[in-house]
Amino acid sequence: MSFAIDWDKLLNLFLYNPRDPILFGSSFFLFFFALVLFFQFSFRNNTSLRIYSLILLSVFFYYKASGGYVMLLFFVTMLNYFSGKLLFQSKNPTQKNIIFTISIIINLSLLAYFKYTNFFIQIINDLHLGNLDALQIFLPIGISFFTFRAMSYLIEIYYEFIEPTDSFRDFTLFIFFFPTVLMGPIDRSSTFLPQIKESLSVSRASIGIAVFLLSTGLIKKFVIADYVNLNFTSRVFEFPNRFTGTENLLAVYANALQSYCDFSGYTDMALGIGLLLGFQLTENFNRPFKATSVADYWRRWHLSLSNWLLDFVFKPVNVRFRRFRKLGLIIAITTTFFCVGLWHGPNWTFIIFGLLHSFYLVFSMLTQKLRDSFYKKIGIKKNRLFRFFQIVFTLHLLVFTALLFKAPSVSDAFIIVEQIFTFLKPEVFPQFILAYPEIFGLIIFGYVIHFLPDSLELKTKELMSKLPIISLAIILTLIIWIVIQVKSAGMQPFIYFKF
Amino acid sequence: MITDRLKKVILKELNLEDFNFADDMMANQVPGWDSLNHMNIIMAVENEYGFKFKALEILKMRKIGDLQKAIDLKISDQ
Repeated sequence: MSFAIDWDKLLNLFLYNPRDPILFGSSFFLFFFALVLFFQFSFRNNTSLRIYSLILLSVFFYYKASGGYVMLLFFVTMLNYFSGKLLFQSKNPTQKNIIFTISIIINLSLLAYFKYTNFFIQIINDLHLGNLDALQIFLPIGISFFTFRAMSYLIEIYYEFIEPTDSFRDFTLFIFFFPTVLMGPIDRSSTFLPQIKESLSVSRASIGIAVFLLSTGLIKKFVIADYVNLNFTSRVFEFPNRFTGTENLLAVYANALQSYCDFSGYTDMALGIGLLLGFQLTENFNRPFKATSVADYWRRWHLSLSNWLLDFVFKPVNVRFRRFRKLGLIIAITTTFFCVGLWHGPNWTFIIFGLLHSFYLVFSMLTQKLRDSFYKKIGIKKNRLFRFFQIVFTLHLLVFTALLFKAPSVSDAFIIVEQIFTFLKPEVFPQFILAYPEIFGLIIFGYVIHFLPDSLELKTKELMSKLPIISLAIILTLIIWIVIQVKSAGMQPFIYFKF
Repeated sequence: MITDRLKKVILKELNLEDFNFADDMMANQVPGWDSLNHMNIIMAVENEYGFKFKALEILKMRKIGDLQKAIDLKISDQ
């Protein structure tokens, strides 16, 4: 038997292939990450070499995802680095405003061109203002994440919260850092940049927490989100008319869970990988379905984005319209959530998602005093049962809006709701459990794990931070083995890539 | 250092009996001071002192000490 290396195939592994980015959890990622760790620890006593090798590998990572559009990332890096310097050096307020405005316009124009051009064309055509053909525009993966990350740097310099970095190298790593470049978290430079120069020392406790995060990430993404999506939710969402209201209802609950597991699973893995490289990245989730109100949910879901929008959209709009009091607040909330919707993608489903959330929040704000005094009067304000009711009620508001995340169009979302309200067949429920015990089991498992006390997670992290490396290696191997068993159905792309 | 005058305005707006403010405290460390009533506090301060902040002056405030500094600067400019 001869052993021949297929050099073409090997070379292709290192070339851009639009269908083959380096996904966390893929076998090529394991090889890639082993290479990263090798260089990081080989150069641990030489900061410069360590950082440059991390930049090079991050550039390669982004090249594998977006090919030649890696140049766009270089452009964004240079634009914001030099604009930041100019902005800081300029002492004249008018000049400062001009530099700031131009830089932000260029950043937003790039985002608008690559992500929203065809959506604008569609709106023009729908309103009969013209008859334009859609353009063939490549969407560079992660553009919404890296543009927002770069803009936060500029805005914080403009607000004089930070001074620009003198190191183009460090700023390049801030933009290109491979664990966060495609799907966040949208770190602020003020927390990320100071960590770059710190010497690489990964404690045993950090390794334990990293293994915990990698394990939860792998389970959430591959065992729950992918499996449930591939075998159940996608099928129902594609043809809701073919299923009874019962299956549609279950798919709506499953969809909310899998959206969370998909995105927070990715984030857990990014955080774990970051820890192994000596970086503490921004937390993005805090058990969002435990929220007692929609406002509370936005303090628990995609925190790096909601904090970004709170600081850089909500606050400026609120300040501008402050003399209108409550109306000013309503304008600020609606603008912010319109941006939340639009940020997620060029589709009316996302915009309606954002506007629905703004409606929830405005309604809650306007009735807050009335509700509070009512709850006090009947003595339920601090009642545990009432708190439980608040969580269940909020969960249903969230589950209902989350279906707009997956439905291909607004009319598809309506069909799903219509099926639930007009074609609910309770007798299908036991049949479903008998026919798909593993899917039903995973949905229940996902929600139960989510609602376990936070203290249990803290205790598990504490325990894992004390375990010997060999035990951690066994745990991670076991988790990877489980994932391989479940993944036999094929790998699903992360939902948030397209944002 | 937070003056008694500013402290009184904030306490009244937040319906608080008393609170120990520190310069480097963030707004969200004060009970009831959230993003929804932040502007009410700013406007109460503007009414108390009889001036208006520019938008950027408000956006640059991160800590309670920054609010006091911005007030002091406005008073010295008047």
